Amino acid sequence: MNRTGSLYVTGNSLFHRLDGAVKLVLFMAWTVMTYMFLDLRVFVLMLVVGIALLVTAGIPFKKMAFLFWLMIIFTVLNGIFILLITPTFGTRLTGTDTPLIQLGYNTINAETLFYVLTLSAKYLTLLPITILCIFTTQPSAFAGSLNRIGVPYKIAYAVSIALRYIPDLTEEFRSTLNSMQARGMGITKEDGSIAQRLRNLAAVVVPVLQSALHRIDSVTNAMELRGFGTQKKRTWYSGKEMEGLDWTLAVLGVLLLAVGIWLKVQVLKGFWYPF
Amino acid sequence: MMQPIISFQQYSFKYKNQSEPTLKDITLDIYPGEKIWIAGPSGSGKSTLAHCINGLIPFTYGGDIRGRLSIAGRNPAELSIFELSRTVGTILQDQDSQFVGLSVAEDVAFVMENKAMPREQMKRETSASLERVGMLDYIDHSPYELSGGQKQSVSLAGVLSTDAEVLLFDEPLANLDPAGGRKAMQLIDDIHRQGGKTVIIIEHRVEDVLQQPIDRIVLMKDGGIEAVGTPDEILASGLLRGCGLRPPLYVDALRYAGVSLDGVQGLSRPQPLGIPGLGERLDGWSEQAAAGAPSQPAEPLLDVRGLTFGYEPGQPVLKDVSLLVGAGEIVALLGNNGAGKSTLSQLITGILKPQSGSMRYAGQDMASWSIRRRGEAIGYVMQNPNRMITQHMIADEVGLGLKVRGVPAAEIKERVAGVLQTCGLYPFRNWPVSALSYGQKKRLSIAAILVLAPKLMILDEPTAGQDYRHYQEFMDFIEQLAGQGIAFLLITHDMYLALEYARRAVVLSGGEVLAADTVASVLSRPEVTEPAHLKETSLSLFAKANDLASPERFVQAFINAEKKGKKGHE
Amino acid sequence: MKKSIFQLNTRTVVTIGIGAALYGATSFIGIPVGPDTSLRPAIALLAIFGALFGPVVGFIAGLIGHVLNDLLTSGTVWWGWALGSGITAAFMGLIYLSKGFDPQNGTYKGKHIGLFIVYGVVGIILSLLFSGWFDITFMGEPSDKLLVQVTAASISNIVVFLVLGVPAVIGFARRNAKVSNLSVNE
Repeated sequence: MNRTGSLYVTGNSLFHRLDGAVKLVLFMAWTVMTYMFLDLRVFVLMLVVGIALLVTAGIPFKKMAFLFWLMIIFTVLNGIFILLITPTFGTRLTGTDTPLIQLGYNTINAETLFYVLTLSAKYLTLLPITILCIFTTQPSAFAGSLNRIGVPYKIAYAVSIALRYIPDLTEEFRSTLNSMQARGMGITKEDGSIAQRLRNLAAVVVPVLQSALHRIDSVTNAMELRGFGTQKKRTWYSGKEMEGLDWTLAVLGVLLLAVGIWLKVQVLKGFWYPF
Repeated sequence: MMQPIISFQQYSFKYKNQSEPTLKDITLDIYPGEKIWIAGPSGSGKSTLAHCINGLIPFTYGGDIRGRLSIAGRNPAELSIFELSRTVGTILQDQDSQFVGLSVAEDVAFVMENKAMPREQMKRETSASLERVGMLDYIDHSPYELSGGQKQSVSLAGVLSTDAEVLLFDEPLANLDPAGGRKAMQLIDDIHRQGGKTVIIIEHRVEDVLQQPIDRIVLMKDGGIEAVGTPDEILASGLLRGCGLRPPLYVDALRYAGVSLDGVQGLSRPQPLGIPGLGERLDGWSEQAAAGAPSQPAEPLLDVRGLTFGYEPGQPVLKDVSLLVGAGEIVALLGNNGAGKSTLSQLITGILKPQSGSMRYAGQDMASWSIRRRGEAIGYVMQNPNRMITQHMIADEVGLGLKVRGVPAAEIKERVAGVLQTCGLYPFRNWPVSALSYGQKKRLSIAAILVLAPKLMILDEPTAGQDYRHYQEFMDFIEQLAGQGIAFLLITHDMYLALEYARRAVVLSGGEVLAADTVASVLSRPEVTEPAHLKETSLSLFAKANDLASPERFVQAFINAEKKGKKGHE
Repeated sequence: MKKSIFQLNTRTVVTIGIGAALYGATSFIGIPVGPDTSLRPAIALLAIFGALFGPVVGFIAGLIGHVLNDLLTSGTVWWGWALGSGITAAFMGLIYLSKGFDPQNGTYKGKHIGLFIVYGVVGIILSLLFSGWFDITFMGEPSDKLLVQVTAASISNIVVFLVLGVPAVIGFARRNAKVSNLSVNE
């Protein structure tokens, strides 16, 4: 994350040009699609499409690498966790049991291993679309897009305010922590037992909260003085009018989702286990 | 006779939760096209007066109103806050709260968005407004990439887009460095001239406001109007000090030199005064007053050498910075935002680790010291005391640092009492923190560090947000502590602060030390002050304008006279 | 005077926004206490925002804060857990509806604190059960494993709520209590 708190990277790819609201629709369709299935074939297909889209968007890999690493670390840990706690979970899904790796208290079977692989692919599938959306959408277009897909403008604007003040409040929180640490009331190992550190953390919350409440007052005044919330409707500076391409992709997204639902109901009903 | 655009008639206001009225019997007419400065210390009611003009009173802050107020011929209480904003545009003090948009363009367009203006029209008007304040090049920037002054210009553009007849600036200089303040006043003046707007400025910083012409000054004190007049009338009257305001330094210097100011024209800015024989007289005074034994160099307490630091390799934030603070010495660390002042203090307190360079404290190498250990030797006090105070009761707050260090309760009690006495807070020791004033909280935040018995304290913008009287009280207290052997490093862009209280100044710009010398010498050199966004002091400008022999000596004479004056009071 | 909890005026909008920002701003910090679990102050801030501004503001601020934080730092929105944050805050915000509880003006009674703790603990457990259910249903996670996760998260969140959240609300109320009869003791 840079100083501005956004991950936006300038560019002119298809995704950069797409309206924010359409991206939200695609994002939701993709998410629902992923949630529905537990089928490696679907995820592999989606991952291939997703990565292809990512490549065309021209986002430097260096900038998004940390998100990939985070997700890979998460899925690996999650996988190990599952294998250790429920080494035969796969059996519940397939009805078969092919013992593979001996653990002292139980045996990991092939079904569970394949299940963990599928689940990891499922988590990874969620990644490309999210990265596409956050790296190609200016934060300022986000609130307007939410409004366009039906979120009341006041709620959408609350999102905008949150984005606006996350960096400011982070900085404030950090500097307060620093000054506490210099007083010997930090939250690092050096500062004592976990209980003591927790008490120190509790102490920091007070000034941070105080300042946030003060901020609420002054931002409210600033917005009242400039006529926020006086009309039924609000327009947005950021964003653009929907064009042919936007409509096409929005419709395509919805259609694909419909196909997905049909597939789920009719064909790929459960966990896919080829062996 | 022209109709006033704003007219207060025997107007009083009392906030809902208070027992005393904050505004008392105000009668004031402001005419279209005037440029008015409402001056007064905190608590004088000037901000409340501003709230009455822009409608925050009565729409956000309720209370009892007596008397009459009309704005553009109408009673604001019968309008809405938004309708009123079409007549009165407000630029708030806190630039970050005012700047709600995620980009410059969006923030300017905020009012238009709220009016549901079509996007095409909005884009045109936004660009036009930004053009007027000279910020069009920044249209896509985010607020985090702008300085305080630039954010303020953007706010002004947003207000200009509404075509409000009255522009109300609430402490526009509060968060700006001296160069930023000068630009802000210039911009306000340009807008005033070009647009024929009525401009109302609420401020307590005298010299900075007077950099540009003002039609009338409204001097406020204790909720009432003390005086109304042109700058020359008010400056010559000597009323400023009585109202807790700081007269321009050169005006004070003239008084110290015994020059009579009755009927003198042109006092509002440092310019030639045309008083016969003034030059010789001031030179004579300077020579006499500037003399004094050169102070003995103090024993070095903190010795920073060749410090280099950067977050990313090849991009140093600090380059080869060296700095010396003697025992019991007050040193000012001056520089603009982004010069590396706060990075330097984080290196000293150990939050950050330098890539190279050394730091010694009383002769010992600090490299291996933990943050905690450093905290016992070098205290760090933030600008806003509210961000440091965590406890409900005063004594608990002061004792906290000792408690976490496992000091026995009896000893804590004793040391807390001692520190509270030093800080003049002992009578309030059983009070909750919330009952203290801002100035007292400021002292409390010092006390909470002082209790750890550091020999050096780093104060970050110690006087920001305080008017002259509180500022002076606080700094006199700091000076008194310095007298007891505690050294201070003042991180600031307030030049008066440095001038009056620091013995030496270190000027940082672009991560490098530009100068380290006596304050008078540093601040008389434009090649130092300009890159650091400081200004040449008005004293030095005045000395040059009136052809004095040595501006630096004139500055030194003033500093000495001030010190003598202070001792005289005690 | 407390306002209706459903009224969406400018102040409410700003409160939601700042609350969400605060949640995001404090999420990066935590004291690790075990694998995948750390004591984060963010949960305490939800408690405070709920108590000060009610369940609706709490729910929306918690949800938005969690979603934005996920977007900016993890690349995926964990919808189950994000909704869980909202639900937690909504439960904690129920205390706002109690008569006579008004920390902004410094008024509260002992029973309010008890009630607040009950709401908070119940809210934390229910919301985490919800998050667990969500992951089992939509992600196809094994229920046994989620039971372990939910239990661990419940314990750490309850600890933070009790140690950070509750005292902060009490402290806040005491701070805002009208002080009278202060005497200067020389």
